[in-house]
Amino acid sequence: MISKKYMPAVAVVMVLLLSYLVSGSDISQRDSQGPKIDCQECHICDVPTGRRPCLKTCPRTAMVHQAVKHDLSEAPDSMLLDELVDEYQAVHFNHKLHAEMAEMGGDCVTCHHYSPKGHIPPCKECHGGEENPNNLNQPTLKGAYHRQCLSCHREWSHDTKCVVCHIPAAGTTIADHPPDSTDIMGISHPVITEPVKKVYHTPYEPGEIVTFQHKEHIDLFGFRCVDCHRKENCSYCHDIQRPATTSKTQEEVHAICNDCHIDDECSKCHDVKERPGFSHNTTGWPLNRYHNTLDCWACHPTGKRISKLSKMCASCHAGWSQENFKHAVTGLRLDEVHSEMDCSDCHTDNQYDEDPVCSDCHDDDRTAESAPPGMKIKHPGTQSSR
Amino acid sequence: MSLGRRDFLGLAAASSVTLLAGKSLANEQQLPKECKDACAVLVDTAVCIGCRKCEWACNRQHNLSNQDMAAFDDKTIFKIQRRPDDKAYTVVNEFRDPSNPEKPYYTKVQCMHCLDPACVSACIVGALEKLPNGPVVYDAWKCIGCRYCIVACPFQIPAYEYDNALTPQVRKCTFCTERNLAEGNVPACVEACPNEALTFGTRDDLIGLAHARIKAYPDRYVDHVYGEHEVGGTSWMYLAPADFKNTELPELPPDRIPPNTENIQHAVFKWFVPPLALYGLLGLIMASKPDKENEQEAEK
Repeated sequence: MISKKYMPAVAVVMVLLLSYLVSGSDISQRDSQGPKIDCQECHICDVPTGRRPCLKTCPRTAMVHQAVKHDLSEAPDSMLLDELVDEYQAVHFNHKLHAEMAEMGGDCVTCHHYSPKGHIPPCKECHGGEENPNNLNQPTLKGAYHRQCLSCHREWSHDTKCVVCHIPAAGTTIADHPPDSTDIMGISHPVITEPVKKVYHTPYEPGEIVTFQHKEHIDLFGFRCVDCHRKENCSYCHDIQRPATTSKTQEEVHAICNDCHIDDECSKCHDVKERPGFSHNTTGWPLNRYHNTLDCWACHPTGKRISKLSKMCASCHAGWSQENFKHAVTGLRLDEVHSEMDCSDCHTDNQYDEDPVCSDCHDDDRTAESAPPGMKIKHPGTQSSR
Repeated sequence: MSLGRRDFLGLAAASSVTLLAGKSLANEQQLPKECKDACAVLVDTAVCIGCRKCEWACNRQHNLSNQDMAAFDDKTIFKIQRRPDDKAYTVVNEFRDPSNPEKPYYTKVQCMHCLDPACVSACIVGALEKLPNGPVVYDAWKCIGCRYCIVACPFQIPAYEYDNALTPQVRKCTFCTERNLAEGNVPACVEACPNEALTFGTRDDLIGLAHARIKAYPDRYVDHVYGEHEVGGTSWMYLAPADFKNTELPELPPDRIPPNTENIQHAVFKWFVPPLALYGLLGLIMASKPDKENEQEAEK
């Protein structure tokens, strides 16, 4: 079919083809190690170049969701933004203070809309220099800085004067200088104290008082602040013009609670008097010192709803048997005689939550309380208030 | 201001030649804006912070009376709604979304530089002209002061210098044509905007950008690019966080305005048919009518 004189050419083509395939597989291997981002997530065109990157609108939502929460200790306490030193003195940006405040209003991603693992890119890594005519989608560094700062600052200071952040450099002419912004260096946001409970007086007549166990909701359900305190940005606390009380509709008041309590009766929260916090004692199962250390979900693994569990030890401790069970964990180390007996000799029908029966062997009216079958061990905190 | 279309095109051609010559030396980042087709501006009112630096920059560019920057820090001015006039070609007004009244947003208004401008159609002497690259420009030398443009504008933008008794002019946003947009300059207001709420570029690019922003942030914007279709399209377009009914931008149909009158007025003289028909008809009537005087004379 192929004459012999073409054979070298065919061989060369085959080698080239093979090397292409091999190098192609190399690339795919290399890609699979890095973050899996499709080119099309950022670029509109198939072949982006340095001159025509044809980037999509920034921030790219697909990346925002990949953002990683970094620890505050990774970041500097304050920064100097000194790109315009000829016109203005450098802007002192107190990163620590802002980061502490941001925790309530959307976290690091409020500003760091693109924060991949590892290196945290500074604004100017993407938003650089003069506006590129081929990339209208991305604000320049000037726009990026101003948007980040002013989107909050104008909300609570209601001021957009340049001198709020910028101090003019010597020889420039902006008249009124603000106080030296270095005096805010090193200042921390005061610690936001979490209340144990909040008592609300409502217009609902059958039960005017709602006791919201704030600490309990955090401890029991592991809520983060922002889970309930939504849209509480800086201006929520700092707005000088914000009216002290804002009237909310009935729907708005109940909205956050209804995320979980949508199916509950009014009386679940509304009462005529203030309610105490939750105690496990009220459930008929006071927690001992072992159970007390457990997370709620270790025993109640059914999600948001706490379901009633069987009191049978074996419902959780499936591996316990006559041979391996150490009675001392119950607060009573059995004496030699009793430790030889079967569990069911005292605990009839394996009912371990009920008092053990002594009358099968002992004729006197003794009970496990009056004549313990061994030595009682005092454990601190056996009775739980949880 | 009195730059004619020919002069402008000539200048644009000359500047592009110089640019091409200098291109090889220029850095990639310093390339001029490719905005030869149809320049436009997208106003993102969700990003605007109401600092009024655009007003200040406009006044300085056009040498208008108020150029004191400190005067533009005054936020109490938002209590009243202002309109552009002969002493301010652009103004920023504050609006509140009824569903989120605590957070105001701001809308900058100026000449929209319509694609098919009613003012140009209404001008009987051709003093207003739509340049192919976007701006609607005014030539004071041709203007006879009839102010038809003021009546015709659906956005009520052109203003008249009523306090100037001898040489009054129609005043409106010039799209900073004097800054030579073809050379890579941007309008003064766009340059001044600290938040880059104003984006300058070709109209097609900006429409794409606007829809991309709406898609990326459906919570932040209403799905409407004002000016994309209104009165046949405008060179200035807007994105807003709430319905445009809240703002002073009027609700307008997508139909171009000039055809309303041009269809009638131009049709009257098309091919000269209606005048010829009218005079022909009159001639026929005259010819068909018996000449009574002549007849009477003949009878005599």
